[in-house]
Amino acid sequence: MLFTSFYSPASHWTPELVFIANPVKHVLKLLSLLVVISALWIGLLQASIIPQSHTWLLPIYFIVSLGCYGLFMVGVGLMRFPTCPQEALLLQQDIAEAKDFLKQKGVDVGSN
Amino acid sequence: MELADRAVGFLLTFTSLSIFTYYTFWVIILPFVDSDNFIHNYFLPQEYAILIPVCAGVVLLSLLCIFIGLVLLKSKKKKA
Repeated sequence: MLFTSFYSPASHWTPELVFIANPVKHVLKLLSLLVVISALWIGLLQASIIPQSHTWLLPIYFIVSLGCYGLFMVGVGLMRFPTCPQEALLLQQDIAEAKDFLKQKGVDVGSN
Repeated sequence: MELADRAVGFLLTFTSLSIFTYYTFWVIILPFVDSDNFIHNYFLPQEYAILIPVCAGVVLLSLLCIFIGLVLLKSKKKKA
């Protein structure tokens, strides 16, 4: 749910940027969900349904899931990265043109 | 070259998804399963569910601090 709402369709040559419609609302929603779940967890702890040795289970679970989510977004971004082959060709032509121009003017552009 | 990028990206997503499902299963589902079920053989005892992420986090933080310290030392040596 979170991941699909982030991506917007890319134009034909710009790399995909991540846009959210209103970022503040999204952050507030996420924070409220977090507060609700931690309130539930603390309630369960106080009522001794869960033994006190398991206090740190929820925060660690959230941190691990956050790390997994970050890794997932990085992997998906890598997989969907566009290579723009036409722009690469145009760039090579520009480089060749610039090299010729500079060689005419007498500047040494050794290819390294 | 984009094939290598795609392969690395796929590896990352696969790793992250597998870690997430394993950890979720371990922490949330397993406490409700009977103690003598066969599935418990595939999962480490429950104390490690807290120990392993904490150790990994500590190692990560210390590596970060070491890296920052090395960079600071190198910049100070270059200035002196």
